[in-house]
Amino acid sequence: MNLSRSVALISLFLLPLLSFSFSVDNPTDRRVLVLLEDLSLKSSHSIFFNTLKSRGFDLDFKLAEDSKLALQRYGQYLYDGLIIFAPSTERFGGSLDSKSIADFVDSGRDLILSADTSASDLIRGIALECGVDFDEDSSAMVIDHSSFSVSDVDGDHTLVAADDLVKSQVILGKNKIEAPVLFKGVAHSLNPTNNLVMKVLSASPSAYSANPSSKLTSPPHLTGPAISLVSVMQARNNARVVISGSLQLFSDKLFRSGVQKAGSPNKYEKSGNEQFVTELSKWVFHERGHLKAGSLVHHRVGETDEPAIYRIKDDLEFSVEILEWSGKSWEPYVADDVQVQFYMMSPYVLKTLSTDKKGLFHTSFKVPDVYGVFQFKVEYEKLGYTTLSLSKQIPVRPYRHNEYERFIPTAYPYYGACFTTMAGFFVFSFVYLYHK
Amino acid sequence: MVKSTSKDAQDLFRSLHSAYSATPTNLKIIDLYVVFAVFTALIQVLYMALVGSFPFNSFLSGVLSCIGTAVLAVCLRIQVNKENKEFKDLAPERAFADFVLCNLVLHLVIINFLG
Repeated sequence: MNLSRSVALISLFLLPLLSFSFSVDNPTDRRVLVLLEDLSLKSSHSIFFNTLKSRGFDLDFKLAEDSKLALQRYGQYLYDGLIIFAPSTERFGGSLDSKSIADFVDSGRDLILSADTSASDLIRGIALECGVDFDEDSSAMVIDHSSFSVSDVDGDHTLVAADDLVKSQVILGKNKIEAPVLFKGVAHSLNPTNNLVMKVLSASPSAYSANPSSKLTSPPHLTGPAISLVSVMQARNNARVVISGSLQLFSDKLFRSGVQKAGSPNKYEKSGNEQFVTELSKWVFHERGHLKAGSLVHHRVGETDEPAIYRIKDDLEFSVEILEWSGKSWEPYVADDVQVQFYMMSPYVLKTLSTDKKGLFHTSFKVPDVYGVFQFKVEYEKLGYTTLSLSKQIPVRPYRHNEYERFIPTAYPYYGACFTTMAGFFVFSFVYLYHK
Repeated sequence: MVKSTSKDAQDLFRSLHSAYSATPTNLKIIDLYVVFAVFTALIQVLYMALVGSFPFNSFLSGVLSCIGTAVLAVCLRIQVNKENKEFKDLAPERAFADFVLCNLVLHLVIINFLG
């Protein structure tokens, strides 16, 4: 009796909390669960966590083996985002496991996962679900003898200074990251046929993945451009996942350290890590690059309401409104590569929409000379942006019998011949009757 | 040899021409009408050969009106020709009335088929 009452009370208190979660109108995540393998990470990565807190995120720090861990309660998710900084944890506590994390991402929520040297099978399994393949050798690290950071104390060239970033303003922000990003950890590779994952920070061509403390007996199988240091995945339901091979990438130590790439004269006071991580976290938690589209509007030229059916060779106007989330509000989306297809088994018309810079994309075209049931399709998949997949069905009918042209221009000589013959007959009969 | 054949051709043409001049005027008028109708039909066939037979019904209608009226005119000529023993008892007015009636029906059908 008492238990059910307390359960009812708790759920009553939980209800208002739901209004703080992310929703269709407010896509930025708010409540983030941070799983740490060691509470000292809270202070050694404090700059990263403080920037997140200053942007309005609600961070909940828990140890990875905490037995009270739960992502959902009563079927509702308690968190909108998950950060896992626990590379060597074999089993999570509570109700968390690799399947529940996969379900978490499947529900549209975001994840930042970081592995490091000696990553456990659990972490590797979660990464594999997202399409990222860590090096099988658990003692291997990324080694680069020509692109290492000069400040590397170990001397085994595992502190890599990487500057091969993906060219995307939506993922990495408008400002170019000048300084190289310091990285010390494991390598992973992506399946090239998987078009949902992409490399954000790649290794230089001279990098390879091997155990730094033992002698190499055979050529390493992960080398050069196949190695990815940090990757992202945008799932088909637009959940975003960042997978990093190095936990130290996020640490205060590497944020504050200066960097000089071996062999390069440029010395930077501050590494690019802080800017890189901050911009990437903005992207992964949907503060940037999140699009929303209104419904597709179409009508004949000169009319305003949508007809139920078009006729072939009609002139029609089409428009759609696309907005972009700026982190706080919906701004008009401006781009010149949104296209619409007039589709029936294959696109009969493919047009690039022109924008009025206020979020409205429009175009006009002529219905093709084919009748059937068509669809207006907008399939927008731009790197780093949410995928838009909109469609609206509309039938197209042929001409009615009284909509054809009355006189066919190519037949004018025949019309002329008939009437000339009739006139000739008339004239002939007169002449024949009244000649002298 | 060549000169004789060309001279023969010229003689042939001259004899034909003189024979034809002897025909009565009304028959010559009918002949003129037939030539005009066939000429119009030929122009239409040439046009169809150039642009293709797209509105085939219009093409047929046009050609058939010319050929039809030419055929009716030939019938009229046969019936009206005084040298023709077969139609000796047929009044030329009756022949002309038949011609007019048939032409009317023909043009009615043609306009309907023209589209």
